[in-house]
Amino acid sequence: MSPPTARPVPLTEAQAGLWFAQQLDPANPIFNTGQYIDLAGPLDVAAFSRAVNGAVSEADALALRIGDHGGTPVQWVEEARRPWLQVIDLSTEPDPEGAARAAMAADMARPPDPARHALAAQCLYVLGPVRHLWYQRAHHLALDAFGTDLMVRRVASLYAAALGRGIAGPPLAGFDVALAEDAAYRDGAQKQKDAEYWRQAMEGLAEVAGLASGRAVTGRQALRHSVLLHEDLAAALRTAAAANRLPWPDLVAALVAAYVRRHAGTADVSIGVALMGRLGSPAARVACTLMNVVPFRLTPDEDAPLAGFLAQAAGTLLRGRRHGRYRGEQLRRDLGLLGAGRRLYGALVNLLPFDGQPILAGLQATRHVLGTGPVDDITLTFRGDPGAAGLRLEIEANPGLYEAADLAAHASRLPCFIRAALAAERLSVVPTATPTETRWLLNAWNATSHPIPGTSLATLLAARMAARPEVPALEFNGTVLSYAALDARTAALAAALQARGARRGRIVAVALERSVELVVALLAVIRTGAAYLPLDATHPTARILRILEDAAPVLALAEEPLPGGIPVLAPRDWPLEGGAPPDSPAPDDLAYVLYTSGSTGAPKGVAIEHRAIVNRLEWMREHYGFGPGDRILQKTPATFDVSVWEFFLAFLCGGTLVVAPPGAHKDPAALAALLRGARVTTAHFVPSMLAAFLAEPASAGLALRHVFCSGEELTADLRDRFHSRITAELHNLYGPTEAAVDVSAWPAAREDRSRPVPIGHPVWNTQLYVLDEALRPVPPGVTGELYLGGVQLARGYLGQPELTARAFLRSPFRAGERIYRTGDLARRRTDGAVVFLGRADQQVKIRGQRIELGEVETALAGYAGLRQARVILREDRPGDQRLVAYVVPGKGFDAAALRAHAAARLPDAMLPCAFVTLAALPVNGSGKLDRAALPEPNRSAATGRIASDETERRVADLFSEVLGVDGIGAEDDFFALGGHSLLAVELMLRVREIFGWDPGLGTLFEHPSVERLAALLKDSPVSDSGLGPIVRLQQGDEELAPLFAVHPAGGISWCYGGLARALSPRRTVYGLQAPALADGVATAESLDALAENYARRIDAIWPHGVVHLLGWSVGGIIAHAMAVRLRALGRRVGVLAMLDSYPSEVWRQQEEPADHAPYRALLAIGGHDPERLRDTVPLTREAVLAFLRAENNPLGQLLESALDGVVRVVRGNNRLVRRHEHERYDGVITHFHAAAQHATSAISPALWHPYAAAVEVVDVAAHHAELTGAAATAQIAPFLAARLAAFDMEEH
Amino acid sequence: MLTRDRMRTDIAAMIHEAPEDIGGDDNLIDLGLDSMRAMNLLVQWNEAGLGLDFSEFAERLTLNAWWAIIDRSQSRA
Repeated sequence: MSPPTARPVPLTEAQAGLWFAQQLDPANPIFNTGQYIDLAGPLDVAAFSRAVNGAVSEADALALRIGDHGGTPVQWVEEARRPWLQVIDLSTEPDPEGAARAAMAADMARPPDPARHALAAQCLYVLGPVRHLWYQRAHHLALDAFGTDLMVRRVASLYAAALGRGIAGPPLAGFDVALAEDAAYRDGAQKQKDAEYWRQAMEGLAEVAGLASGRAVTGRQALRHSVLLHEDLAAALRTAAAANRLPWPDLVAALVAAYVRRHAGTADVSIGVALMGRLGSPAARVACTLMNVVPFRLTPDEDAPLAGFLAQAAGTLLRGRRHGRYRGEQLRRDLGLLGAGRRLYGALVNLLPFDGQPILAGLQATRHVLGTGPVDDITLTFRGDPGAAGLRLEIEANPGLYEAADLAAHASRLPCFIRAALAAERLSVVPTATPTETRWLLNAWNATSHPIPGTSLATLLAARMAARPEVPALEFNGTVLSYAALDARTAALAAALQARGARRGRIVAVALERSVELVVALLAVIRTGAAYLPLDATHPTARILRILEDAAPVLALAEEPLPGGIPVLAPRDWPLEGGAPPDSPAPDDLAYVLYTSGSTGAPKGVAIEHRAIVNRLEWMREHYGFGPGDRILQKTPATFDVSVWEFFLAFLCGGTLVVAPPGAHKDPAALAALLRGARVTTAHFVPSMLAAFLAEPASAGLALRHVFCSGEELTADLRDRFHSRITAELHNLYGPTEAAVDVSAWPAAREDRSRPVPIGHPVWNTQLYVLDEALRPVPPGVTGELYLGGVQLARGYLGQPELTARAFLRSPFRAGERIYRTGDLARRRTDGAVVFLGRADQQVKIRGQRIELGEVETALAGYAGLRQARVILREDRPGDQRLVAYVVPGKGFDAAALRAHAAARLPDAMLPCAFVTLAALPVNGSGKLDRAALPEPNRSAATGRIASDETERRVADLFSEVLGVDGIGAEDDFFALGGHSLLAVELMLRVREIFGWDPGLGTLFEHPSVERLAALLKDSPVSDSGLGPIVRLQQGDEELAPLFAVHPAGGISWCYGGLARALSPRRTVYGLQAPALADGVATAESLDALAENYARRIDAIWPHGVVHLLGWSVGGIIAHAMAVRLRALGRRVGVLAMLDSYPSEVWRQQEEPADHAPYRALLAIGGHDPERLRDTVPLTREAVLAFLRAENNPLGQLLESALDGVVRVVRGNNRLVRRHEHERYDGVITHFHAAAQHATSAISPALWHPYAAAVEVVDVAAHHAELTGAAATAQIAPFLAARLAAFDMEEH
Repeated sequence: MLTRDRMRTDIAAMIHEAPEDIGGDDNLIDLGLDSMRAMNLLVQWNEAGLGLDFSEFAERLTLNAWWAIIDRSQSRA
C-alpha cells in the first residue's frame, strides 16, 4: 500500500475542471456520484464489512479533503474522512426498502462542500435477513465511473476471499500513483502532440446541437431512464462486430453519432465520448477521478455502404482515444469555445462494456445508478456487453432541456435506430422515427378525412343567396345590401363579364379599393366560372404589367385604366340589373389566382381551385360554428390570401360581411371604433398588427366571438396580452398561399399555456408532415421542414411548370398525391401539435407580408450602375424589422437613382428602408456572405434645413425617439427614414400625448415630413402645441356628441387624457384651456366672462347638438357657469359632470393660497397628489419641474414661458372663483365626490342644491387630487359613459 | 484453457495485424489497441469463466504482462 498523501498537493487536471464547476454552483448536489447494489441472498455482514473497509482503506481518494492555498485549490488525505462502512438496520421499518431509498435520495440531494464535508460515504442497509442494499456515494472529485466499478470489484474479491471462495488479489494502487501520472502527462511531450491533433480535428466546428434544441445550465439533478436492450439487438451487434472486425462499442458510438446528427439536422455532428483516462498506466488500478471526455466529430455519408461508414467512424474513435488524455476543458480553451453557447459536443456517449452486473459470492447482485455527476445535455451510457451479461442503455439528461417523456422516447427510438441501421445497407434508408412514431406522424395525427360537397364556391354561394334574401349581407360605411340586392348586383355584373369573355378557365383581374363594388366584383367573377386575380393599383406599374402579362386576364374591373391596354370595366359602367344563367364551375376549375413574392425575382401566381377553397371555407364554417348571427370584418387587402375567407365566409354561413373603409386596417383607433360601432363578431389580425391594436387604449374591453391570427408567429406574450384586454376566442391559424389560406389551427385560449404557441393540427382533408432533408418523417420534438398534403394544395404556379414541380413533390406517403414544401421549419409536439420555428430559406415576412429577398435583389440588380446587391432583414432593435440593401456601386452609380429604380418595381413593403454602399460584400471562410459583418445602416438623417421653430423641434424629437435616428432635419420624411406602419402608430400615440390631440394616422401619410406634420399641428383649428384654448384629447365616433372638459386651476386640461381614452364607446373629448396660458393674454375679468368665452368657442366648433360638460375642481365651477351661458345661447346641455367641485362660498372660507399653489396645481395636473409628495418634492418651481421631467411627464417639457402662464392662471383663477356668484342651472349636476377625502367633512356636494335642479352624487374611492388618476378613472368612466349614452339615445 | 498463442491470435485479430507481428513486450497501444478493444478481448476471454479483472490488464498492455496474469489465474484454479 502506498503512503497516504498527507501533504497538500495540487488537484489533477481532471479534478480542477470539476472543482471550478462546483465553485460556480456550490449548492448544486449534481456533483455527487452514487449507486446502490441490491444484494439478494444470505450476506455475511461481518465479512462484507471487512471487505468494504479493506477496499476503503486502499482508496485514498475517498478520504480527500480539498482546501484553499492562496487562491488555488489543494488536496490532502484526512483519515477522519475515510468512509468506513455504516451498517443500518431498517428491517423493523414498515417499509424497509422505501426507508432505504428515501435515505439514499436525501443523501444524494445534499450538496457537499469539498472543503468542509467528507467526499464519500459507504452504507449497508439491512432490509431483512436475505436482502441488503449497499450504497456508495462519492463526490465526482473523488471518483469516476471507472473508479466506482474498481471499488465494487475490489470489494467483491475481498469478500470472496473472506468466504474462502477466491483469492483477494493485488491491492488497489495508491492515489499518489495517479498524481504522478497526471504530473508526468502535464509536463510531457505527448500533451503537445495531442493538442495539435485536436486543434486540427476540431477546426471550423460550427454550433453544436444535442438531442434537443438549445442550451441550459447544468441542473440540480438529472432525469434518468434505463432499459435492458433486447437480445436481438445484442445479437445484431455481435454479428456486425464480427463481420466488420470492429469492437461493438465503436459500432454503437458511430450509430449514436449518426442518430444525434439526424436530430440536430446539421451536416456534421460532434458527440462526446467518455474515456477512462488511465489505459496502459499503473493508475488503471487507482480508485479516483481520471476520466476525460473527448469530442467525436463525424460527417456521416449516409449514402456510403454501412461497412465503410462504420470503419471510418471507428478509425476516428481510435485516433481520438490515442490522444484521449488531453483534457476536454483545455481543448475548449484552445479553441476559444468559452462562455455560453460554445461547446465541443452536445450529447455524450459512455461505453462501459466491462461494467455489467457485479458478481458477489453467493449473492444475486443488481446495480442501481443514482448519479454519475453533472449532465450538461444528455448522456447515453451503454453498460454491460451484448453477450451473456446483457447490455443496458442508461439515459441521463438535463431537465432544463429534456422532459421525462423525451428520455423514454429516446430509450425506444435509439435502440430501434441502431437495430435498423445494422440491418441496412446504408444509413440513408434508415428511418429516424420508430415504426410506432411513424404511424402517428404520418397517419394518426393526419387523420382528417371529412366528406365535403363535390361542388364549387359559386354553387354554394348561389344556394345561400336564395336562402334568406331579406337579411343584410354586406355593410360598408353606412351602406347595407341585403342578400337579394347582392344577388341582383352580382348577377348583373356576371352577365356583363360573361359578355366580355369571362368564363370557366379564364381569369378576371380586380383592382379596386375596399368597397361594396370590390365584394360585388369578386362574387360576380366567381359566378361566371372565371377565377379572380386581385391587384393593388398602388403597386408599381412595372409589377402590375408583369402580372397582367403573366396571367393574361380577359378584362379587369378597376376605376382607372391599367397598364398594358387590358380592357377595363369601371364600376360606374356596371349594370345594376339583368342576370345570366351561371356557368357553374367544376371543383377543379380555378377560383382565384394570387401573386406572391418569388425568389427568382418575378412574382409568381398561385392558382387555387374551387375544391381547395371550398374545403377551407366549409371547415372553418363548421369547425367554429359560424351561423347567421355572425358579423365578419373584411379588412385584409384582397391581394393577401387571408382576405379570401373574410370575403366569402359570411355569405356561406348566412351572416353579414362588414367591410372596413380603405386604410382602416392600418389604424388601430379607427378599427376599434369600427369593431364596436358595427358590432363585429369575427376579425382577423396579423400578430404585429394585433400588438399595435392592443397598445391602442380604445381596444380595451372589446368583446367579440372570434379573433383569428395568421401570417406571422403569434407569441405567447401576445396571446396573454390579448386575453387580458379583449374578450374573444383567439385562434392561431397557419398556411401558405399555396394551400388555400390555412392548413392548421390552434385554439390560443386564455388558459392555453403553450410556449411557443403551436400552429396546431391540420384542417379537414389535410396532412402536415415534418420531414428531414431526405423526406423522412422526423420524430416528435425534432426540427424538420414542414410539408403539406391534401385537398387544399394549389394547382401550382400559373404558367410555371418547373417552379411548380420544385415546390409540389410527389407524395412519398400517399400514392398519386402531392406534397408542398413550405420552406418553414417546424416540429411536432408529443401531442401532435405542430410548432412553427421560422424559415429554412431566404423568405422573410414583414408584418405578415411574405417577401422573397431574391425578388428584391433581382429588382435592384436591374439597375445598371450596380455591381452587387444583397438584401437582408435586420432587427437591430427588438420588434423593429427592416429590409436593408447592401450594394457595391459600379460605373455611374447614383444612390437616388437606385432608390427610384427599386421604388418603380417593388411594392412599398418590399422596398428596402436603407441602402448601404460597400466597397465589397464581406464573405466568410466558406465564401458565403458574412451577415454578421454587414454594418448596421447609419441612422443619422439630416438632409436639408434643421428644425427651426418649437413645434418642428418637438416633432423632430418625436421622429428621433420613435425611429431611433439622430439628427432629424425639418425636411426628413418619416417613412424614408425607416418608419413603417407600426412605428407610425407609435408616433401618433406620442403626438397625442405631447400635443394633446390626435390628428389621425391618415394625416401622417399625407404629411410625412417634420415640417409638414409640424405645420399641420400648428395650423390646426383646435390646437397649437398642446397649450391652445381647445385641445382634442381624443378623436372618437363622429356620430356621438363630444365631451368638453374644462381645465382645473392650472389652466391645462391634459389631465383628462386618461378619462378621455377610457370612455367607451369612443367619444371625441376636447379639453378647454385657459387663454391666459399664452404670453401677453390677460386673465379674464370675471369667471362669467371666462365661461362666456368658452361657451362661444364651443359654439364655434360644435354648432349643433347637445353639449356635454365636465370639470375638475375649479373646472366644475366654470362648467356650471358655462352650462348657464349655453342655455342662454339656446343650446341644449347634456351631462354636467363635476369632479369634486364646490361652490365659491367654500373657497371664500379658505385661507388665501400660498405662493407655492401653482406648483401644487402643476403636480396635480401631472396626476400626483401633492400631499403625498410633501416630503419628497419641495414646492419650488425647479424641484417640481425636475420631478416631472424625471418621470417623463409631458408637463415637464413645458416651456418657461408656458410655466409662467400656469403660475399666472392659478393665481388668477383663485381670484375669479372667490369673487364668483353662481346662477341657478336648470338641470342635473352629476357630482363625482372624492369620498376618501371628504367623508367626514362639512364640505359636501349638497352645497350645490341652491344652484341646480338636482344633484346626483357618485362616490369615488379616491382623494380630491387623485380624481384623474387611473384608479379613479376606472370608477368614473363607466358611470360617465352611461350618462352620456343616455343623452345620445334621446338625440336619435 | 487459454493459451499464450490463442491470446496472440485474438489480439492480432482485434487490431487487424498478423499474430507473428506481435512481440511479447510490444506495447499493444502502439500497435492499435485501445480501451474498447482491450475490454472486448477481456470480455471474450472471461466467457471461459476466468473472472479476469480489466484494471489489472489495463496497467500494462503487452502480451507478456497479460499472459502472466492469465497464467497465474489459471494455475490457481
